[in-house]
Amino acid sequence: MIELNGVTKLFNQGRPNQCRALGEIHLSLDRGGITVFEGPSGSGKTTLLTLIGCLARPTSGRIVLDGRLLSNLPERFLTEVRRHTFGFVFQQFNLIRGLTALENVMLPAYPLGRPWRELRAAALVLLDRFGLGAKAASRVEWLSGGEAQRTALARALINDPAVLIADEPTANLDSILSREVLALLGELASQGQTVLISSHDPLVFEAARVDRVIELHDGHIVGDRRC
Amino acid sequence: MLITPAIVALQLTALGVTGAVLLASGFAWRILRQWDITSGSERQLRLERQTYLVSTLLGFTLGAELLSLLLFVHTAESLSGQFTGAMCATGVLNVNIFGFPALLLKIAVFFLAALWLLLNRVDNRGYDYPLVRVKYGLLLAIAPLAVLEGAVQTAYFLGLAPEVITSCCGSLFSAEGRGVAAELAGLPPWPMLLVFYGMGGVIAGSGWWLVCTLTPSPSPTGRGGIAAALLAASSLLGFGIAIAAIIAFLSLYVYENPNHHCPFCLLKAGYDYVGYALYLPLFAATATGLGAGVIAPFRHIASLQTVIPGEVRRLAGLALLGFGLFYGLATWLMARSNLILLS
Repeated sequence: MIELNGVTKLFNQGRPNQCRALGEIHLSLDRGGITVFEGPSGSGKTTLLTLIGCLARPTSGRIVLDGRLLSNLPERFLTEVRRHTFGFVFQQFNLIRGLTALENVMLPAYPLGRPWRELRAAALVLLDRFGLGAKAASRVEWLSGGEAQRTALARALINDPAVLIADEPTANLDSILSREVLALLGELASQGQTVLISSHDPLVFEAARVDRVIELHDGHIVGDRRC
Repeated sequence: MLITPAIVALQLTALGVTGAVLLASGFAWRILRQWDITSGSERQLRLERQTYLVSTLLGFTLGAELLSLLLFVHTAESLSGQFTGAMCATGVLNVNIFGFPALLLKIAVFFLAALWLLLNRVDNRGYDYPLVRVKYGLLLAIAPLAVLEGAVQTAYFLGLAPEVITSCCGSLFSAEGRGVAAELAGLPPWPMLLVFYGMGGVIAGSGWWLVCTLTPSPSPTGRGGIAAALLAASSLLGFGIAIAAIIAFLSLYVYENPNHHCPFCLLKAGYDYVGYALYLPLFAATATGLGAGVIAPFRHIASLQTVIPGEVRRLAGLALLGFGLFYGLATWLMARSNLILLS
């Protein structure tokens, strides 16, 4: 489904502080299941997810999604791909303060022009699914860490993406809340969702629901095991 | 040299256009030699990123170039009071040998720039840069003309000496004179009238045919392509015939004078600036008609199959509208005139 061919990413290219975040990554990711990118801080996990999710462009190499080249798409087409194909969950949740949980969940769908009532109903269904129905009208700064991460999950799913990308989704959660989030991700994977997670938390890459663990070190793949 | 705000604006535009096309030409040359969409090399990815910047820069500068033609003609017309012997823009353009070449170069660059902008618009709507080589190839053809135009325009403005006694339009656009202008002024009205309206019929027919035949899925018989080529050719030919018709007989009706053939006096307030109302739709229609013909052959490219038919129909519609306005206004001007030229 997703193929990476010789993907390299350099930051500050051509400057004294040039940094090679990823080097010649060749990788094929199948549809469905949970894939975890494991590795220490600075190993290139987040950069790799950023490239797969079209949030940045590689310095060289190609990324192919369902046979279609992604990495060379003009920006306006990338925006469409991001909106329809990928849902993002971030380490810091990145919820918009001052807005309610419901408004945060609805936000990524506004550019698609869905009827507001239909969109609101879909957002409420997602919040209910993650046990946040009662918190829909609460401002996000009033939510606990677990509630905020579940809200972020609901937001990532509002456009019904084919791929859910979660960057260190348990980094700011305790072990109980981490298991809760992992259970939700497992549930999504069992329903056919493709879930890509970056994490250096053993709780994540040793979880029973994980289908594949790809180990990164210094921007290179050093391990790839299917569970 | 005269210095007026319009001349400064024209010179700044020429400087900007020259600089931009020269800079972009180097990039265009790299695109033609190194572009390989199948490659994931660092060089290819850098070219893909840079093409956004270069085409945006060119979009603004070539857009300014389109407007500068209008400003150039308006400036020439507005300076007619400054030169002894000049009654209109003709006299001002005749002040030195660079005036008319500058105008002709500006007209040529106007149409090429319009084509480039239309190609760029279509290319930006394809997901795989489908026309990137075509548009940068065209840019390499535009660049020397744009640089020459800037140089000739500069020479023209530098040579605008107020003490020069120039000749007015009566001597240039006279049936008894010599040269292309005199030849056009001496064309017989009746045959020209028939050619003028015959050409209008051809343009309308080819435009209508194109709108009807260019379906979203390309016609296997290729008739849409033939119709587009016919519209482009008839637009270009129609432009030339329209200019000839203005000089040969239309101007006579406007001035109500059987010997006044000038195509520039039409821009004067005394004739209600009717020249602008004639020339603006004529130039726009020619550019869009040409654009339809240039873009239509690319409709078979996979990433443009859903884009080009709609775009070509829109351009054909605009061309028909522009020529319709021009012919409608021309006919009205003849109908309301007190001059009896043809009996």
